[in-house]
Amino acid sequence: MRGYAIRRGFAALIVVILVSVFVFIMMHLLPGDALLVKLGQTGRIPPDRMAALREQMGLNQPLYEQYFRWVGDIFNGSMGHSLIFDGQTVSGRIGDALPITLELGVLGLLAGVVLGVPIGILSAVYQDRPIDYGLRVFSLTGLSLPQFWIGLIVIIYGTRYLGYSPPTNYTGLTTDPIQNLKDMWIPALILGYGLSASTARMMRSTVLEAFHEDYVRTARAKGLAGSRVVYRHVLRNAVIPVITLVGNQTAYIFSGALILEILFGFPGLGQLTYTAILQRDYTQVEGNALVTGGIVVGINLLVDLSYGWIDPRIRYV
Amino acid sequence: MAELAQEQLSFPVQRQNRTVAWVISFARRKPLSAIAAVILIAACALALLAPVVTTHNPNIGNLGEHLQSPSMSHILGTDEQGRDEWTRIVYGARTSLAVGLGAAFVGTVIGSLFGLISGYVGGVLDMVIQRVMDAIMALPAIILLMVLATVLSPSLRNVTLAIAIFIIPSAARVVHGAVLSTKAQVYVEAARSVGATPGRVMLRHILPNVMAPIIIVMSITVGAAIIIEAALGFLGLSVAPPTATWGNMLNAGASSAMESAPWLALAPGIAIGVTVFSVNILGDGLRDVLDPRLRGKGH
Repeated sequence: MRGYAIRRGFAALIVVILVSVFVFIMMHLLPGDALLVKLGQTGRIPPDRMAALREQMGLNQPLYEQYFRWVGDIFNGSMGHSLIFDGQTVSGRIGDALPITLELGVLGLLAGVVLGVPIGILSAVYQDRPIDYGLRVFSLTGLSLPQFWIGLIVIIYGTRYLGYSPPTNYTGLTTDPIQNLKDMWIPALILGYGLSASTARMMRSTVLEAFHEDYVRTARAKGLAGSRVVYRHVLRNAVIPVITLVGNQTAYIFSGALILEILFGFPGLGQLTYTAILQRDYTQVEGNALVTGGIVVGINLLVDLSYGWIDPRIRYV
Repeated sequence: MAELAQEQLSFPVQRQNRTVAWVISFARRKPLSAIAAVILIAACALALLAPVVTTHNPNIGNLGEHLQSPSMSHILGTDEQGRDEWTRIVYGARTSLAVGLGAAFVGTVIGSLFGLISGYVGGVLDMVIQRVMDAIMALPAIILLMVLATVLSPSLRNVTLAIAIFIIPSAARVVHGAVLSTKAQVYVEAARSVGATPGRVMLRHILPNVMAPIIIVMSITVGAAIIIEAALGFLGLSVAPPTATWGNMLNAGASSAMESAPWLALAPGIAIGVTVFSVNILGDGLRDVLDPRLRGKGH
C-alpha cells in the first residue's frame, strides 16, 4: 500500500509537471503580445520605454529561462504577476475566484449524485419496464444537451414567464450564505443534471450486476425483503464504481462549472480565464490552467488511494 | 477469427450481402438505435442538400426583416441581422456535423495509434505515453480549448483539430486496455513465434480484434465533439463568423437578441440535442452488439 501510494504520487507529480510544460508552451505560441494590450490601455509609449518594459516583464529572455522563472514564482507562492493588472499576483486573483468555482462544482456534484443514484437504482429495479425507459431517456437527455444551453433557456424563458431573474451581483458565501445559495442552486442543478446521466448509468449496471451475485441470491433466499436486499447488500457494493466515476468526471465537472459561471456572471475561475485569454494575460492563464490541472490530478490521486480504505478486499500490487 | 477468414474468402457480392444482412439484424435487435441512425442520416442529408432545402442566403440577411417571429416565409423566424434561422440551422449542420465527425475521427485514429503502440510495446514508452495522455486529460476541456482557440486561427480545420486533441487521450486509454488483454492471447503468441514483426502483429493480429472498442469510442465522441463546438461557439471561439455553426448561433454576444426573440436560442439547442441524443443511442446499440464484454456496463 505504502509503495503503491508513493509510486502513484510520483506519477501524479510527473503529470502536473507535464501539464505545466504544455500550458507554458501553448501560451507562448499565442499571437499578440500582452505588452501591446497593456499599452492600448495607457496610450502611446515611445519605443525605448517599450523595450524597457519588455525587459522588465521578462518577455525578452529565452523560453526556457522564462519557464524556470515561472516555476520559481510558483514555488514562492505568487505564480507571477498579472501582466495586465499592476500589482496583482496571479495566485491572489486565483484565490479570489477559485472558491466560487469549487463551490459550484461541489454543489453540482452533490446534485448529480442525489439525482443520479436514485434514478439508477429505480431503473435497475424496474429493468425494461416503462419507468426504466422513461428515466433513461431523462438522464440521456441531460448528457445530450449542452449545459450552457439549458442555462440559457432557463434564463430566457424563466425571466419571460416565471419571474426568475439571473443573479446580477455575485454574493459571496461568507457575506450572505442564503443569498449565495439562492444564486447558486439553479446553475448547480443544471451541472448536476448533466452529471446524473453517467452516475445513473453506472449505478444501474452495477445494481443489475449485483442482483446476479451469490450473496444477493443468498440474502433473497433467506427471505430478506426486496428493499432491504437493495440497501444492505447491493448499494454497499455500488459505492466503488460511483466514486471512480466521480474521480473520472472531475475535469468534466470543472468544464461545466467554468462555462455556467460565465453564463450566470459569477466571478469565478471560468470568468477569470476567459477574460485573461481575451486580454492575452499569459501568466494569469498559465496559472489558472495549472491550478485546475493540479486539482484534477490531485482528486484522481485521492480517488485511487481511497479504494483500499473503502473496500479492504482491494490489494495494491 | 472464423468469421474473418470467411470474409476474406468470400466474393465482393457476397460481402455486400453480408453487410446488408448485418444492418438488418442490427435493426431488429436494436430498433431504437436504428431509428437514431435514420435520424442521423437524415441530418447529414439535410446538411449536404443545404442549397436545395433552403431559400435564403445563410450569411447575408435583410436588416429590414430582423428578429421576426416564425412565419410562412421564415419558418423559424430571423436573427438580429435578418438572416433566416432555418437556413442557418441547415448550413450550421454542415459545419457542426463536419466538426463533430472530423474531430471524432481524427482524435480516435491518433488516440488508437498511441494506445496500440503503448499497449503492445509496453515499458518506458508505455509509461511516457500514458503520462502525456493523463496530462492532456487533466486539463478541463474548456480551459484546453480556450487556450488552443486563441493560439490557432478560427478556421473549420483548426477548430476540428483542437477538439480532436481533447479526444485523443480517451481513445488511447480505451484501446490501451483492449490491447493489453488481446496481447495475452495465444494467437498473438503464435504469430510472434513464427517470426512476425511487431508492426505486422499489431496491424494484422491485434488491430482487427480491438476494432470494436475503437468504433464505439468513435461513435460516442461524435456527440461530445458537437457539444464542445457549441460551447466554443457560445464563447465566440468557434469557426469565425459569419459561418453558421450551431455553437455560433448561440453566441453570448447575441444573447440580448435572444431575450427578445427566444426562438433564436431554442432552434440550435434542439438541433444539437436531437443529434447528440441520436449519436448516444446509436453508440449504445453498437456497443451492445459489437462488444459483448461491455454489455450491461452502460445504459
